[in-house]
Amino acid sequence: MFSNNQAVSLNIEQLNLVTNPLNAKIFLEGAAGTGKTTAAVERMLYLMAEGIPGNTILLLLPQRTLAGPYTTALERPGVMAGGMVSILTMNGLAQRMVDLFWPVVASMAGFEHPEQPPVFLTLETAQYYMAHLVSPLLEEGRFESVTIERNRLFSQILDNLNKAAVVGFPYSGVSDRLRAAWIGESSQFHVYDDVQECANIFRDFCLKHNLLDFSLQVEVFWKYLWEMDLCRSYLTQTYRHLIFDNVEEDTPFAHEIVREWLPELETVLIVNDWMAGYRRFLGADPDSAIRLKGLCSQQVIFTKNLVMTEPIQVLEESLGRILLSRAEANELPDRIRESVEMYTALPTLPQNMGRRLRDTLIFDQHHFYPEMLDWVVDRITDLIFVDRVSPSEIVVLAPYLSDALRFSLIDRFQTRQIPVKSYRPSRALREEPAMRCLLTLSALAYPEWRIIPVKEDVAYALFQAIEGLDLVRAQLLSEIVYRFRDGSPVLLSFEQIRSDMQSRITYRVGERYEILRGWLAQRREPPDEFDHFLSRLFGEVLSQPGFGFFQDYIAGQVAANLIESIRKFRWVAGGILTEEGIPLGYEYIQMVEQGVIAAQYISSWQDNERDAVLVAPAFTFLMSNRPVDVQFWLDAGSQGWAERLNQPLTHPYVLSQGWPEGKPWTDLDEVRAGQEILYSLALGLLHRSRRRIYLGLSELGEQGFEARGPLLQALQRVLLSIDKGNAPGSG
Amino acid sequence: MKLRASQEKILEYTSGKMGISAVPGSGKTWTLSKLAADIIRTNILNDGQEILIVTLVNSAVDNFYQRIGSFVRQYDLIPNFGYRVRTLHGLAHDIVRERPSLVGLDERFQIIDEREADSIREEVSRTWLHNHPQFFTEYLDPDLADSKRDQVLRDDIPDLVQSIALSFIRYAKDRELTPEVIRQRLERCPIPLPLAEIGLQLYVDYQRALNYRGAVDFDDLIRLALMALKVDHAYLERLQERWPYILEDEAQDSSQLQEKILKKLVGKEGNWVRVGDPNQAIYETFTTANPRFLIEFLKEEDVQAHDLPESGRSTLSIIDLANTLVEWTQTDHPLVAARDALKGPPFIEPTAKDDPQPNPPDQPDGIYLVARKFSPQEEIRAVADSLARYLPENPTATVAVLVPRNTRGFELANELADRGIPYEDGLLRSSRLTRTSAGALGDLLDYLSDPQSSRKLARVFEVWSGLDRAGGDERKLSQVISELIRKNAHVEDYLWPGPNRNWLEELEVSGMDQTILDKLIEFRRLVRRWQAAALLPVDQIVLTVAQDILTTPAELAISHKLALLLQEAGRANPSWRLAELTQELNVIARNERRFLGFSQEESGFNPDQFQGKAVIGTIHKAKGLEWDRVYLMSVNNYDFPSGIKGDRYLSEKWFFKGKINLEAEALAQIDALQAESEFAWYEEGHATDEARLNYIKERLRLFYVGITRAKKELIITWNTGRAGRTEYELLEAQPFRALINYWDNKMQKGTE
Repeated sequence: MFSNNQAVSLNIEQLNLVTNPLNAKIFLEGAAGTGKTTAAVERMLYLMAEGIPGNTILLLLPQRTLAGPYTTALERPGVMAGGMVSILTMNGLAQRMVDLFWPVVASMAGFEHPEQPPVFLTLETAQYYMAHLVSPLLEEGRFESVTIERNRLFSQILDNLNKAAVVGFPYSGVSDRLRAAWIGESSQFHVYDDVQECANIFRDFCLKHNLLDFSLQVEVFWKYLWEMDLCRSYLTQTYRHLIFDNVEEDTPFAHEIVREWLPELETVLIVNDWMAGYRRFLGADPDSAIRLKGLCSQQVIFTKNLVMTEPIQVLEESLGRILLSRAEANELPDRIRESVEMYTALPTLPQNMGRRLRDTLIFDQHHFYPEMLDWVVDRITDLIFVDRVSPSEIVVLAPYLSDALRFSLIDRFQTRQIPVKSYRPSRALREEPAMRCLLTLSALAYPEWRIIPVKEDVAYALFQAIEGLDLVRAQLLSEIVYRFRDGSPVLLSFEQIRSDMQSRITYRVGERYEILRGWLAQRREPPDEFDHFLSRLFGEVLSQPGFGFFQDYIAGQVAANLIESIRKFRWVAGGILTEEGIPLGYEYIQMVEQGVIAAQYISSWQDNERDAVLVAPAFTFLMSNRPVDVQFWLDAGSQGWAERLNQPLTHPYVLSQGWPEGKPWTDLDEVRAGQEILYSLALGLLHRSRRRIYLGLSELGEQGFEARGPLLQALQRVLLSIDKGNAPGSG
Repeated sequence: MKLRASQEKILEYTSGKMGISAVPGSGKTWTLSKLAADIIRTNILNDGQEILIVTLVNSAVDNFYQRIGSFVRQYDLIPNFGYRVRTLHGLAHDIVRERPSLVGLDERFQIIDEREADSIREEVSRTWLHNHPQFFTEYLDPDLADSKRDQVLRDDIPDLVQSIALSFIRYAKDRELTPEVIRQRLERCPIPLPLAEIGLQLYVDYQRALNYRGAVDFDDLIRLALMALKVDHAYLERLQERWPYILEDEAQDSSQLQEKILKKLVGKEGNWVRVGDPNQAIYETFTTANPRFLIEFLKEEDVQAHDLPESGRSTLSIIDLANTLVEWTQTDHPLVAARDALKGPPFIEPTAKDDPQPNPPDQPDGIYLVARKFSPQEEIRAVADSLARYLPENPTATVAVLVPRNTRGFELANELADRGIPYEDGLLRSSRLTRTSAGALGDLLDYLSDPQSSRKLARVFEVWSGLDRAGGDERKLSQVISELIRKNAHVEDYLWPGPNRNWLEELEVSGMDQTILDKLIEFRRLVRRWQAAALLPVDQIVLTVAQDILTTPAELAISHKLALLLQEAGRANPSWRLAELTQELNVIARNERRFLGFSQEESGFNPDQFQGKAVIGTIHKAKGLEWDRVYLMSVNNYDFPSGIKGDRYLSEKWFFKGKINLEAEALAQIDALQAESEFAWYEEGHATDEARLNYIKERLRLFYVGITRAKKELIITWNTGRAGRTEYELLEAQPFRALINYWDNKMQKGTE
């Protein structure tokens, strides 16, 4: 059985790969669960054991979360001799190079102030500037014929810039490409023009202020630095060996750089997973990845599945066949069809397979959604406490995970004391009570901002800030002490209120309130930076005994995240805001209220929970690239299993490299995309499943609509054919 | 089961177009469901194909599912595969949801409900009126006294602007006119169309507000569905392939857009069965719905036309009255132009003797056509008196009191409540389930937003302890505890006793019963938990507290959906706090909202569940339902006018010059914009007349629907209207008068 600690149990395919000569350039491919990453990890260790210095090895990954198996292996005793292996994404590499070579590239790339340092924008800060620039156009009535929430509008415009950058076409061509593929109402043409105009404005602004969003980082690196001997020889001399895992999840930008780099490298191992490409909406392009194959001197295919038990394998093959047998599936890319032919033999149904399959694919029909959730949690309770399955071997997946669903599940698990984790908690940072408390207190400490919190917020802030203050008294207290004077908020002192009220609120609370109030009222000249202020507020008052965040680690993390977010915001926007005379804290709070920034989630707040049930969207789980014993598929009837991201202002397929210029995006393309997604999603999950799949079925979905989507229909056919005693999917 | 000859003919259908004219109670749902199951049984459908059944209201969706499911099970097949039942909104949602970007929607587009749409219209109307305070003065009756004038401008005009916004926007969407198109046409139009100009401005602002929320309204959904089918032919073909059969129920209320959407989905060679009763078309005012679509379809050459004339629902006397109304309308209605309001044949025919649904034995003495002149209050009292006598003697009978308007229903409900007469007002409101779930949650949130309030805490206790449902001792105990909580002004002394005072201890010392103390302790534990949850985002508060106060799976499912709705509301209105969100929830609890989804739980009203109670509802809401005894109230010449002198009309405002119907005129100006020929140009007043005629006709059909709800007994009354609100006393409606005359004659002949 597959495990992380695999050093001694490689199979012959893997062993052959690992021990290839030190100058081999290998393209390794296969389905998920065939042990490719395990082999790649061992290959890396083998290289190092053979004397190659770690600091000449570049490990390239499409996203940082995939580094797990490699970093674990590198932590093994004795491995790190010979220096650190660089683990990078191509974008990370680009950013580093831009930072390093800024003085030589800045003016060449068109920045107005090459003498000043670059400012790298995060997704959040890029969105902030986009909002800043585009909001006035919205007021003028642009984008009238699209129906979209503002923040999604901003992020989709940024997305277009990013796609142009990673695919490698000029950003000024976005509108033309989208227009050429559009077959609907002509009013959409205006929308695309508006999109283009906003992208142009944003780009100009960035060049003017030395701001580098993701797209500019990529472009500057690819267009200028990579073409520059100085930079290129720096890279080719630093890194002599490359391991590039999950190449199918990376962008043409990464593929193109590696393609040109290949001849210079001594050792290369590129690992490609068939049927994946889950990050397409971020520009991933499995078709461009495949082109690296011919440039490698060796092509290796792993065919032996190391994860699935026999019934899961039968299920995988049957479902695969059923999905492929549908008329539209003829339109699936050759890449997928061929790979399927290659590793699946026509199943001859082993004895008892019908029954064994029933034991492997378990479901129960429910009418309502919460009933289904109860069933799921009941089954997991049994698995953990009766069957002794480790919680980390259980994942609960859905095509789309609403906050309400996430919360409902986490809440149910916690009630039963089952450890649970999710890649993000069920609320955004801006919805965290602790964060609201901190921002409300800030508004009270800076009355000159004239941000007037509503009474309820003040009551909640006091409720959280003062230990021993309950919600009833918090409301009472805030009603008495919270006032406005000349358009600014004021807190009265406890001394000033009637004694019967003091007694109701209690003197102990009164004392603590006075400490807090006094702290907020004391001024420093010049005033602190906003992030410094918050960190003092937290450290000097709120985390002290007698106050609400004393020994509250979650609040501590929220505060730390908030302070970090503000600090980044200050680095990026501080200068411009100072010029305009707007207090940074004021602007930050406004942006939080509008949901433009600080919408990010607390990072890693539950990562320390290693042995926990994972609740995640199916895509997220697939991207973590690890097999588990038991998977729960919630909302099996949802349409979401076969749906691409629908974004009116951008288009992941049309803006990809392989899309022929001028070809319209038709319904057939839509169907094909859905089919491909369903196929790679369902089979990708099965390939990562060892023992069992549970289907969460409810006739009415979360929103109350009937749920009978294509995945459910296909599974229904698998079951029907088993009942008839046929090999599922055959004939 | 034995089929009637008329049913047999319909069930022989295999393909092509078929139209069916069905009388009330003729079992059209049954027949259509059977037809669907029969088609499924022939195994003609391929993988992924479905029969699409389109009906009018959510409650019918469930009905169809159950019926078809039971037929399918009889055939030993798996239910829920091979068919899909949708309202037009549901269908449009399916179509748009699958390809949102095709019509410029983000995949997470929201559908705002009626209530939110209302408040947006209110906002844009107010803004418009603020900027154009004098606009309507030129329409006002010049003879109005100054004080009256000011009063009208203050009280009536704002509402009117809102109604214009509502009908104008809806009508424009129904005609697939975007604000941009209207703007262009207005610019080209040679004559001024001031009402269309207002409408346009309201429309523009309204759409902008929707866009800001990333949302569409229900009318957009339908418009966009048609747009999707028009712009992408391949998508249309795929849907045609998916739905090779379309069965349309209630086709008499088909709107222009519904007709267009279904026509597209059916295609040239497709299979389309339309069933309806042109005499029950009661949703036409200010919409493009029109029984004409069905009537014309029935006449088309390639359409197999059938009737379903037999009905086993009512006694012969009631059938006789309904048929008489049709005949009188056709031959004797004082307004000649209204004589085509009701169609016949087919007239209602009783079923054959050996029919599985025989008519109830005739009971001519169960008909009371009360000619007596009542004041509104007297009418209510008379009906209440009658119910007070009838209900105790007939505990298993089903009874409904049907009224033309909601407000009238609530007046009656108040009277019945005062007199302790059991009643059910579910037909006046949104479904009980949504209402009670939302109501309970609303009470709790209301308390959490005001945690010092002992009154609100007491109410939460009542909800939690199930006071509204409990009976006997349990109820008394809950009342006692609730009263204790309410009287304790310092809530904190109970929930979070401090060093100074502990309310529970004081109660204990005073010798309070231990059961009461235990209950209070248990309740306190929960309230503390809820208070801790109050800091969470609103969706999570709802999910947390719902587990403690709601029990059934349906309630919990609704609460999950409410959580999602409130989260949306919170995101659309970032400044809202618990108090505002509670308001929102209360609105859901109180009002009619079209809740997409949860059709079964939403409005599956079953009269048999309310035996021995008076069900109060509007005639509109009673469509498709039946009761042993039916009261029809307010059958006067205001609610059922006939176009004769002295009749007055809801939409014709007394304060305008020539009592013009401004809403109708605004819509006529939209039509004028589309007109090609100068003969179709706008002429003021014409639309008012037209609207009046349509209203008269629709109200005749409404009367017909009311009568045909009754199985055994029928009581009809009328009132003179409220003095002061109208200058003249109202009269009984003409058609009612005609029925009284007919019935008196018949009875006399019978006794002679």
